[in-house]
Amino acid sequence: MAEIGAMVGGQIRQGRPLPVVLTTLCELFDATVQGCSSSVLLLDRTGTTVRNAAGSGLPASYMKELEGRRVSWIETPPAPGLRLHEVSPILSLTGEPLGIFAVYRRESNPDVTRSHSALISQLTHVASAAIERMRSDEALERSAALLERTQQLSSTCCFSWRVETDEISWSKELCQLFELDPADAPAALELIGARIHSEDLPSFHEMIERARKGVSDFEFEHRLCLPDNSLKYLRVVAHRTRDQEGRLEYIGAVQDVTHRRHTEQALAKLRAELARAARVASLGVLTAAIAHEVNQPLAGIVTNASTCRRMLGANPPDVEGARETARRTIRDAERASEVIKRLRALFCKKGATIESLDLNEATREVVALSLSELERNKVIVRTEFADELPPVQGDRVQLQQVILNLVLNASDAMSGVDHRPRQLVIGTERDEEDGVRLSVRDTGVGFEPQAADRLFDAFYTTKSGGMGVGLSVSRSIIESHKGRLWATSNDGPGATFAFSIPSGSL
Amino acid sequence: MSVVANRPLVSVVDDDESVRESLPDLLRELGYSARTFSSAEEFLASDCVGETQCLLLDIAMPGMKGPDLIQELTVRGQEIPIVFITAQADESVRPRVLGQGAVECLFKPFSDTALFEALNAVFRVS
Repeated sequence: MAEIGAMVGGQIRQGRPLPVVLTTLCELFDATVQGCSSSVLLLDRTGTTVRNAAGSGLPASYMKELEGRRVSWIETPPAPGLRLHEVSPILSLTGEPLGIFAVYRRESNPDVTRSHSALISQLTHVASAAIERMRSDEALERSAALLERTQQLSSTCCFSWRVETDEISWSKELCQLFELDPADAPAALELIGARIHSEDLPSFHEMIERARKGVSDFEFEHRLCLPDNSLKYLRVVAHRTRDQEGRLEYIGAVQDVTHRRHTEQALAKLRAELARAARVASLGVLTAAIAHEVNQPLAGIVTNASTCRRMLGANPPDVEGARETARRTIRDAERASEVIKRLRALFCKKGATIESLDLNEATREVVALSLSELERNKVIVRTEFADELPPVQGDRVQLQQVILNLVLNASDAMSGVDHRPRQLVIGTERDEEDGVRLSVRDTGVGFEPQAADRLFDAFYTTKSGGMGVGLSVSRSIIESHKGRLWATSNDGPGATFAFSIPSGSL
Repeated sequence: MSVVANRPLVSVVDDDESVRESLPDLLRELGYSARTFSSAEEFLASDCVGETQCLLLDIAMPGMKGPDLIQELTVRGQEIPIVFITAQADESVRPRVLGQGAVECLFKPFSDTALFEALNAVFRVS
């Protein structure tokens, strides 16, 4: 009897298919009890219908006919002279009916005793274990299949990382994503690091260090640089947990967000183009309005001066008329200058709001604002902010306009640079006169020494799409803050634009 | 005011005072007599419509615009040669107004020679 358990138990552990296991059970019974044929009928989830059956001692046609029948149908004799003798339910550990063990007796053999019930009880026990095992295997397979499908659908892969041993296990999809050979798994951190985009490596290492301390769950995004130089954007989310032995472990998901990033980049580019177009359009409208206002008095000036010349050239000269037209010329010139004054008032009299502000913080906001534009222009930005910078007094928006202008100018100056890195360094520091200095240094085309003086003139520009307004407005803003704005050529390529304004709090 | 006999009358219609003040003197220097009006309505209401042999007409004015005045004159059967004078810097204006029958379109500020030539064109035509 114990041998039965050992033999069938072995089959179950080896993961042999359920029909094989159950057939073995029936064959063991049939071999043990002369004159009987046994069968195992699996029931559906409702416990009323036969779903599957095993019983090699019974006619195959009968076994086939059983499929889908109500349980009571087992009382139908399988063959002439064969009748149902004994039935025992196969129950799960929780008492749920899984199947039925049915024994048929040959009528010609009256020699059947009660002692079979002990054997039947043992066999149903083994059958129960086999069926439950199969059900949990099925459930596992289903959930694994579901997981795989979900991973495919959401472009997500999963991994686990035992921090103590650096043991990393990851899904086959993750290997594919990193284009690593699954044979290299368990993957090492160095292997992963080799695929990470060099610009993202510092933040990757920083994240690893934080994770090692086990402070919290982590989440970050980085780029992969694959062997064929293509880029992938990944988003990693990991949950901190402990295994049974209490060791720190992260269970994480890696999502390929390349497509989303590309869409976002395209969108940002469109938005920037739109903003640029709107800026140009409104400048166009503004220019037309200014031109109209200025052309009126200019027309007067030209006409008066022409008349004046003609009057003086006449014989005899009309001196009185000439004097009058000269007077009108001067008056029209004054009118033109009034127009300009009005325009200046319109743009400058916005009522500056003076507050005490942290230049580092104001600059940080500008950098954040322009980051997508800089990234689009492939500019690498580095900030070198001085610690404990004294506050300055000023109009936050105006100063930020100046900083933004310098940053975008620097970016524009590097747009044609391809043979060296487009590097932008934005720094702050105290200056020699207890003021605060901000500098924006680029590796762009720089400027000719003789142009240095004209850079800040209104309408002076070296850019094809430029208006030549930015720097002159910037300088007037900085001067209204009692500071100064200047430009220097770098020792290496590019230029540095800097301003300094006095420090002081309100 | 200064209509001199035998000199062709050029009427200036412009809402800008500098223009109204400066143009008549130059026109007289060029051998014309001149009258000025600050709006199209004022010109239409004046007794100069019939005598005017050329109109120096601003395009954008408050009230009736330059091109509207041409239409009104056409309706009235008054065919006066027109030279537009405009402070708009938009070059696309020129072919449009020339298409409407204007002889010339001058962009402010314009030189005395440009005006002289435009008027010559007008009086050669008429």
